[in-house]
Amino acid sequence: MTTKRRLEYLMNIVMLGMSLATVGGKLGRGQAAVSPSKEAKNEAGFKEFMDHVQAYVNLHKSIESSLPALKKPTDQPEKIANHQQALAQKIREARRHARRGDIFSEEAMEAFRHTVREEFGGPHGHSARTTIRQGEPLKTIHLHVNETYPDGVPYTTLPPTLLLKFPKLPDQVAYRIVVRDLILLDVEANLVIDRIPDIFPETI
Amino acid sequence: MPKPRTFILVLVSLIVFCARADEFRFPLKPGSVKFAAIGDMGTGEGPQYEVADRMNTERQRFPFDFVIMLGDNIYGGSSPKDFERKFERPYKGLLDASVKFYASLGNHDNPNERFYKPFNMNGSNYYTFKKGNVRFFALDSNYMDARQLAWLQKELQDSGTGDWKICFFHHPLYSSGKTHGSSIELRSLIEPLFIKYGVDAVFSGHDHVYERVKPENGIYYFTEGSSGQLRPDGLAQTSMTDRGFASDRTFMLVEVAGDVLYFETLSRGGAVVDSGELRRPVRASEAAVQNK
Repeated sequence: MTTKRRLEYLMNIVMLGMSLATVGGKLGRGQAAVSPSKEAKNEAGFKEFMDHVQAYVNLHKSIESSLPALKKPTDQPEKIANHQQALAQKIREARRHARRGDIFSEEAMEAFRHTVREEFGGPHGHSARTTIRQGEPLKTIHLHVNETYPDGVPYTTLPPTLLLKFPKLPDQVAYRIVVRDLILLDVEANLVIDRIPDIFPETI
Repeated sequence: MPKPRTFILVLVSLIVFCARADEFRFPLKPGSVKFAAIGDMGTGEGPQYEVADRMNTERQRFPFDFVIMLGDNIYGGSSPKDFERKFERPYKGLLDASVKFYASLGNHDNPNERFYKPFNMNGSNYYTFKKGNVRFFALDSNYMDARQLAWLQKELQDSGTGDWKICFFHHPLYSSGKTHGSSIELRSLIEPLFIKYGVDAVFSGHDHVYERVKPENGIYYFTEGSSGQLRPDGLAQTSMTDRGFASDRTFMLVEVAGDVLYFETLSRGGAVVDSGELRRPVRASEAAVQNK
């Protein structure tokens, strides 16, 4: 191994350790450079967000339990498609009054915006931009709460170092990037749960 | 005295025999692990079917038991018709012969593919399985969150040091592909684990080309993203390429026997694009883990 490679390797180990330590901590999101009050505000925002996520997941689970079970993998794709559609339909009905901001509350939104700003303005900014650029960024699509993520549209890669700074989500939901928006997606129902518009920089 | 014509014929046969003796051959050892690798294949178009037909043909010569799928398994939708046209029909011959498929998810895949039994994901985006002396780790490179990282670390650690460790996932850590290239951020997170816990080989897709990269930190990296899609002229000239090919669709055949991994990359027409044998490296880091 050359000295350069050794250094690169050491840097990677340090970076991985820092990222895991950040996520491993309660809800501390690793903004080492931010002021304590800002950090506390972020923590509060993320906590509120996670409370809303948990309430949503409880709803998801209760609706799913009312549907024919898809407990085991099946060799019939129509069963998977039917389950996804039925789940989406029932969740839509249960959340027919859902609006943007129900889960990403004002405080939560500010915590996410702050985290994204820090990431893109910090040492990982360049590589985060590169990751998004490489990952088939979407240009024209706009999604709203209770809409289905369009079938066949590829996922833009979410920069993994940024993902590690966001609150860890239960299996049922995931973060996605759509153009410049951050989407919270129910992956089993393929349904948009909430979104933060224009959170990502214009110049990716 | 033999006639000159007979003499020439014998001479030509001898030359051909000697040339073929130098050609790559799978050892086909009893108990070895034999598999195929395909990536970015799920288009449902002619070239995917032609690659699948070639795989079927080659299986007479090289009886692989399973196929690893490097993502973008089903492009353009996830309706039952998509599964039929982009998976069940092209690979019918292999499926009928009880060849198993193990999928990883690409950026064009609906995550609910994990519930599709023939993909053998058991409802998980990432999973591990063992065949002979090889431990496989299928990762979801679309979404490398803290939970998956922790899982990977634990599984790599628990898998010990005796077996080969092969990871497969969609986004390549090293790639000379002009469209996407190396996933550097992902690399910064998972490569240290690969090195620490002695991963031997990594298979990815995403760039619609074939590339074998010169070993990086003792790990062999392959990109096989042209088993359905193809980006002609999609490879940049870089110093990391050991062998690259972007003129036709390809797939890989692999045999792991003892400490050697034999591989052959074939075009849909059956031409050998790349082949070779790779020895399992013994790493200082792995030895240290073993000694702990």
